[in-house]
Amino acid sequence: MGAMTTTTVATQAGGVQLRRGGSGEPLVYLHSAGGEGEGLALLDRLAERFDVVAPMFPGFGESEGIEQIDDMEDAVFHLLDLFEQLDLVSPAVLGMSLGGWMGIELATRYPERVSKLVVVNPAGLYIEGAEIKDLFGRSPAEMAEDLFADQSHPMAQMMHQVSVSMSQAGGSALAIPFDLLKPQLQTMAATARLAWDPYLHNPKLRKRLHRITAPTLVIRGKEDTLIPAAHAQAYAREIPGAKLVEMPNAAHLIAVERPDELAELVIDFLSS
Amino acid sequence: MRFFSFHLMPYPALPDDYDGPAWVTCPNDLFDPKVGNEVYNRYLDELVYAEELGFDGVCVNEHHQNAYGLMPSPNLMASILARQTKRVKIAVVGNALPLYDPPTRVAEEFAMIDNISNGRLIAGFVVGGGPEYYSFSINPAHAREKFQEAHDIIIKAWTEPGPQEYIGKHYRLRFLNTWPRPVQQPHPEVWIPGVGSLETMEFVARHHYAYMGIPYFHIDVFDRSFRLFREACEREGYTYEPKQAGWLIPIYVAETDEEARRQYEDHFWYFVKRLLPGINIQPPGYTSLRSMENIMKGANTFAISLDNWKQAEEGFYAVVGSPKTVLEKLEQNLSRLGTGNLLGLFQLGTLPADLTRRNLELFANEVMPKLRERFPDGKAMLETAGAVA
Repeated sequence: MGAMTTTTVATQAGGVQLRRGGSGEPLVYLHSAGGEGEGLALLDRLAERFDVVAPMFPGFGESEGIEQIDDMEDAVFHLLDLFEQLDLVSPAVLGMSLGGWMGIELATRYPERVSKLVVVNPAGLYIEGAEIKDLFGRSPAEMAEDLFADQSHPMAQMMHQVSVSMSQAGGSALAIPFDLLKPQLQTMAATARLAWDPYLHNPKLRKRLHRITAPTLVIRGKEDTLIPAAHAQAYAREIPGAKLVEMPNAAHLIAVERPDELAELVIDFLSS
Repeated sequence: MRFFSFHLMPYPALPDDYDGPAWVTCPNDLFDPKVGNEVYNRYLDELVYAEELGFDGVCVNEHHQNAYGLMPSPNLMASILARQTKRVKIAVVGNALPLYDPPTRVAEEFAMIDNISNGRLIAGFVVGGGPEYYSFSINPAHAREKFQEAHDIIIKAWTEPGPQEYIGKHYRLRFLNTWPRPVQQPHPEVWIPGVGSLETMEFVARHHYAYMGIPYFHIDVFDRSFRLFREACEREGYTYEPKQAGWLIPIYVAETDEEARRQYEDHFWYFVKRLLPGINIQPPGYTSLRSMENIMKGANTFAISLDNWKQAEEGFYAVVGSPKTVLEKLEQNLSRLGTGNLLGLFQLGTLPADLTRRNLELFANEVMPKLRERFPDGKAMLETAGAVA
């Protein structure tokens, strides 16, 4: 299909790699800590109905300026800068995991800048007894189990493969060829800046959720073992009027594993 | 040439059926305080003994929540050594600066040790190992920035009159005014250990500090690291001096080569296979991509992937043998690396007290004097002319 074209947008932090395509109301896509975007079928599907705007966050893909971003507050200000550059007054926002958290942070601080909000397996909360599993120290194989419902998905297969090479080299990630490792190192380093401590949450976020005015849909993959169900449930309960949908046969990385079903849910919600 | 006895203070009693990492998540119910009481005292005795045997200094270091090294606070060890020794340098290699908040604490404690020992402290500063960023939940993406700021605070505290102010990104100190100040002026000698990160080498070269190569890699990796360090000094406009470089290496001396291997090998493997696993975890953002690429050039030679003694011996992961063999091997490598400080690990893994003492004695009596003759202070050490680019 290839509805998306890639450009670079100048922001305060630096050049941001932007995928954009389709026509209709603007829909901003905020990717997860995996930095998905390139060749993502989900974006093509959404572009059939919307003007899809998918920036890579600084530190991901070709986007610059991560050294200027220390925490989620900086991330939100970066999004505002980007919105100004693109004349986005109040777009719909769709965020995956880390990107979902970012969308929620934006919508609590500047409710008027988000017309509708869809978050998929969003991070951002700490819930005692339902902690988010470790993202920074586990093997790719362990991660694949949490990210994918079906371990035969090509990306899950690749992650299992990498783990095999690592264990053959005494458990070291250094066993992976640098070219393959480099993008992974970059995205994890960028994620660490936002989410190492506090780990994938903002202690102040929960008491601010009541400020969100956008109609909100929370989507959870039923088989997501990275972020427990209590997180999506808390968001759905505490964001005024939010709706919760649980997707069967879906785990954490729904955007990659179930693009068609996800696109359908998003289109239905945003068109209603 | 200066000789140091370096102790890691390992936990020697991991149960045989435990095969997990020795770091971060190694369950602390495996720690037996009875063993702790015994080994802390024994290990301190081994360091004190090094003074008696004529070493120039002793070294301790900092690691947290692991079985590899039982010194979360090397400053406690150094303060005991400051009282129990009279002559040797006491090198704390080092304090992991981003783990101290505010880093004023390091300026204070190091100055205390320097006062108690009357100017015998060598002040080591480290970024901290990868596992420490998990163990202390400190953001690895801020590791280098915090290290820089903490370093600046400590040097400022030692060298500029207080009270003064330091306002940085990570630390804000409105009244920086360290009591005590160090005996050594303008400040104690500074050592920085490294595993091959270019940023670290450039930092050390810029400040005219000393670079300590961290072990457990093939000798070629050290060779490359020290060459890169010498090049970094050249870029700063000067030629490095041997005292600015140190080689940290496990050493074991016995009467004969056969006896040395027989007595040492099992203890070496306990160290490599039981205590190293987990040390090489790389938290995200801890190392720049540029440095990561450089470190990775040596990564496949990390000791964890050794399978047999021949590899360990040929790669100089440890120097083991009769006094004659150890002397030859050290001479050969010292003239290749050009390091004016030899930091020997004379106790490793489960090596017991009697063998450790015998090792220290044989080294001090039969190897050290000959190396002193071979590498006199203030003389160039590198054998190959033009080794400095």
